[in-house]
Amino acid sequence: MAQTLHIESRGGRVGTPLLEVQNLVMHYGTKEGEVSAVDNVSFTLNNGEAIGLVGESGCGKTSVALTLLRLLPDNSVIKGGDIKLDGESLIDLDEEQMRRRRWRDISMVFQGAMNSWNPVYRIGDQIREALRLHWPETLTYQEETDRIGALFELVGLNPVTMERYPHEFSGGMRQRAVIAMALSCNPKVIIADEPTTALDVIVQDQILRELKKIQQELGMSIIYISHDIAVIAEVTERMGVMYAGKLVELGSTLEVFHRPRHPYSYLLLSSTPSITGPRRKLAPLEGEPPNLLNPPTGCRFHPRCPFAIDKCSSEEPGLVEVGEGHSVACWNWQEVPEIGGLQK
Amino acid sequence: MLKYIAKRFGQIFILFYVFLALLFLLLDLQPGDISQQFVGNPNIPPEAKEIMVRQLGLDQPKIVQLGNHLWNYSFGMDMGVSWSSYPREVSDILFSALPRTVFLFLTATVMSFWLGFYTGKLVAWRRGTFIEKSAMVTSIFFWTVFYPWFAILMLWFFASQLGWFPIGKFISVEKWIGAPYAADDVFMLMLGTIALVTLVYGVARYVIDRSSDDPQTRRNFHRLALWSLAGIAGAFWAFSARRTYAGDILWHTFVPVLTLTLVNFAGTTLLTRSSMLETLREDYILTARAKGVPERTIRDRHAARNAMLPVTTSLVLQLAVVIAGGVITEQIFSWPGLGRALLGAITAEDIPVAMGALALIGILSLLAHLVADITYAFLDPRIRVQG
Amino acid sequence: MADILTPPTERLDGFDPSAVLEEPLWRIRLRLSWRSFRKNWALFSDNKMGIVGILIIALFGIMALAHPVLMATVWQDHLEGGKNVYDIRAGADSIIVTKTIVEEVTDPVTQISQIEAMFLGTGVSIPEIGDTIEAPLANPAPPVLSGVDHPHILGTDPFGGDVFSQLLFGARAAFLLGAIAALSSVALATLVGTIAAYFGGVIDTLLMRLADLVILIPLLPLLIVVSGFWNVELTMLGILIGVLGGLGGTAIILKSQALSVKVKPFIDAARIAGGGHWRIITRHIIPNVLPLSFLYMMFAVTGAIFTEAALSFLGLLNIQQSWGIMINIAHTQGYTLEGLDVWWLMLPAGLSITLFSAGFFLVGRAMDEVVNPRLRKR
Ligand SMILES: Nc1ncnc2c1ncn2[C@@H]1O[C@H](COP(=O)(O)OP(=O)(O)OP(=O)(O)O)[C@@H](O)[C@H]1O
Ligand code: SF4
Ligand SMILES: [Mg+2]
Repeated sequence: MAQTLHIESRGGRVGTPLLEVQNLVMHYGTKEGEVSAVDNVSFTLNNGEAIGLVGESGCGKTSVALTLLRLLPDNSVIKGGDIKLDGESLIDLDEEQMRRRRWRDISMVFQGAMNSWNPVYRIGDQIREALRLHWPETLTYQEETDRIGALFELVGLNPVTMERYPHEFSGGMRQRAVIAMALSCNPKVIIADEPTTALDVIVQDQILRELKKIQQELGMSIIYISHDIAVIAEVTERMGVMYAGKLVELGSTLEVFHRPRHPYSYLLLSSTPSITGPRRKLAPLEGEPPNLLNPPTGCRFHPRCPFAIDKCSSEEPGLVEVGEGHSVACWNWQEVPEIGGLQK
Repeated sequence: MLKYIAKRFGQIFILFYVFLALLFLLLDLQPGDISQQFVGNPNIPPEAKEIMVRQLGLDQPKIVQLGNHLWNYSFGMDMGVSWSSYPREVSDILFSALPRTVFLFLTATVMSFWLGFYTGKLVAWRRGTFIEKSAMVTSIFFWTVFYPWFAILMLWFFASQLGWFPIGKFISVEKWIGAPYAADDVFMLMLGTIALVTLVYGVARYVIDRSSDDPQTRRNFHRLALWSLAGIAGAFWAFSARRTYAGDILWHTFVPVLTLTLVNFAGTTLLTRSSMLETLREDYILTARAKGVPERTIRDRHAARNAMLPVTTSLVLQLAVVIAGGVITEQIFSWPGLGRALLGAITAEDIPVAMGALALIGILSLLAHLVADITYAFLDPRIRVQG
Repeated sequence: MADILTPPTERLDGFDPSAVLEEPLWRIRLRLSWRSFRKNWALFSDNKMGIVGILIIALFGIMALAHPVLMATVWQDHLEGGKNVYDIRAGADSIIVTKTIVEEVTDPVTQISQIEAMFLGTGVSIPEIGDTIEAPLANPAPPVLSGVDHPHILGTDPFGGDVFSQLLFGARAAFLLGAIAALSSVALATLVGTIAAYFGGVIDTLLMRLADLVILIPLLPLLIVVSGFWNVELTMLGILIGVLGGLGGTAIILKSQALSVKVKPFIDAARIAGGGHWRIITRHIIPNVLPLSFLYMMFAVTGAIFTEAALSFLGLLNIQQSWGIMINIAHTQGYTLEGLDVWWLMLPAGLSITLFSAGFFLVGRAMDEVVNPRLRKR
């Protein structure tokens, strides 16, 4: 009884590596050609840690998340790299084995989670479905109901509302219920893709704060994905910055905010007023993100980069360590000025 | 839910009267005015003329005539007397044809819906495969095929070429000579059996759903209920003395029902396919995949269940096709239903029967509309729970 | 790519605004619509089925044009008893003779099979072997590909009419009817839809309830009654089908499209600029509804052809010649169960109706994917 009510993370000892992504390359095949949506992305998620991925719309954040769960559309190809969960490669699993891992080991809160609910089934029954599929023992109906009730309480919903249909929930309630569903099978990792984008600012804030609380209390490992740098700042300990399918900077959130080393991170941060105080019009981010059908040669940022040097258009920079756990892919990172840090 | 149904019911009720008024207008507009036509027509027996005068109140103002017309067609249940087979009452002629039309219409609709939905679902799921492409070409062929021609081909193939089935008609007269039962009675008993089985199954489902929370148990019991009911009904007919007669009727229904089903099923397939393709792009399908739901379950319980909603609505728009198909089927297969009565009446210039048949077909279409609306309300919790 | 690096002000250098204004407005419009046409064509031609549809329609177009041309040239001098053998009505007044019902027909001039007799009969009683029955003298002649004295490449109908000539003429009738029905239906639907959407309120409610009613009326039975009361010919039928179709489902769909246009900012702008209701409707809303209207025109053709052919088949229309009438003649003259043995009687006409409908249906579906992006592959 108590076991079924226990909501926890099934990950290992806090601080040890849980999810290791190595040199991941993923393309979409389209009629016009190959879209290189994820290019050579590597990062590690430790147990009990919250990390973030930021970047402009279309830079491939959702694609990374979908690749981790192997939920990609038919026209996609994983060209290389590896994803290891607790040391075991997910790429090598066959489809049936992968299906058993989904939600049980890695669950996901989707971009636009408002539409994540099937309109014809009750909210509670949709969570029940996940429990039936993945809970190691067979639960009685009452045990399932009790667990869903406990999950609802955890995310701040009244358990009696589990009998309702999605259309009877407000956007915020649906979002909370999605989080409850993501927690339902005690996963090791939760991926939250734009978990609050569709909500108004106040609800957004409430939910983020609750998420953070749950994450810290349960020792949950979460990957947050957002184009909104403020969200990432609020809830993560480490973060990666993506540009045009590549991870261009990776480091602790505090440090990246304090001293971004990549020109793109710098421009992104300095053009976001809510974090760094009044907007400093040092060098606004001009131009448009590149077409991933044929990305620019060399550094993919060079057509828009105010710090670009000759080499940038021909040679591609690799990720290099520039500080304690802080790496960046830029030829000219030394020139990027300090920004002043995070005012929390 | 009840409010919604009541509202739809009210609307349909009003529409019914507007439709009847429209029929009156049609009668009134026809060349030479109905009174002249029927006074001048030498084929009409004088008794029929008197009845017409009384019924339409032709000496009274138009508005009173309209009122009489509406009353006679609804509460009066009086549609006048046939001109061509005097002195039979129109309602007598039509009500004996009605069950046969309803049977043809219902079996073909239910079967084509079921088949079409199933195929459409599979076809959408296997998008891009050879199976999908050939199924699409077949569906488009059936959807656009000139139905009378196709029906003639079916008749030729099954009745003349293979010789497996009769050349149309409702019964083989020679088999019924000296039969202790009237064909219509046996037929009504057959319809009654089907209705009873459906009703009992519905009640059983309701009871089962109330008494168990577990979907799997429920599904097993649903199946058990269906099979045992079908078994009981089958046994009843197998031991009944009416067996051979019922068999004869069934034998005659086969080709018409198959023909009508084939054509309508293509429409449902096409509709289901596009509805299913749209549903498959919904976010909740991705969520279900992320939840590790097996693919078959995603297809059947998540995608198809939602894809069914727009298909149910569009079914109403397809109704016109089904009705047109029904009229033509009855004509080609000499199936004595409403459509054939209508065509016969038009050829014989029997206006009361023609109007009555048109009115009844209109009512059938209204009822079908209502049924589709109620089904939709049941399927969609957004209406079931709130409306 | 390099262009992005140039500051916008520099890019404006050498740009002469008057150069653009010198170009007349209609040419700009033309160029813009040509461009959007090319884009849509690219989307359309993705769909193989749509191309097949266009080819089918083109084939029938050629057939329809061929008939008058052939009549005026190659077929001109084939007279037989003072009548052109290719005239679509040639032999329509066939000779009726008395035939004996036999089991096996050995002499088609004096004998007839039981099954054929059944279809000729009143249907009241089953014709017995040995009875006599009134039946047309002529029999359909099989196709002959060569030969000057019998030049019917698709054979003749039971009355001696040339099937090929009738087939070509039928294409003309089909286009005429389809065009009348589709144009009137969609014109009406567009008007009703935009007016309902633009004015809203009572007008909207009335028009939409009317549409509900029209959807509910069983079209074919109604037309059967109408054609029993009145003498319906092709143009009249086209308009009738058009009006009934245009007030129903299409009007509702076009209304929702018009509604989505009505809330766009440029409509407000036009209103503020002092545009009258009529001007806003015709200049701003209708042009944006038009692509969808055009799409429904294709489906309207399919429906109209079916209805005409079905009514012709039932022998209820007063039209000269059509594919439906060809099947009707074969059917009423007792060739229903001969099936493919006399294939030229029903197969060409039946296939033509089917293919003609399919052609427009396929084009409609392919256009649907252009107009309605949700249906596209990705
Ligand atoms: N199924 C697909 N086929 C082809 N290209 C695709 C497909 N899905 C995404 N893309 C392309 O891949 C790139 C990355 O898309 P992705 O959805 O991962 O971006 P994102 O960073 O999540 O953006 P957003 O913030 O808007 O969600 C985009 O350029 C997109 O156009
Ligand atoms: S490598 Fe060059 S172009 Fe790329 S970000 Fe660094 S400085 Fe800019
Ligand atoms: Mg995304």
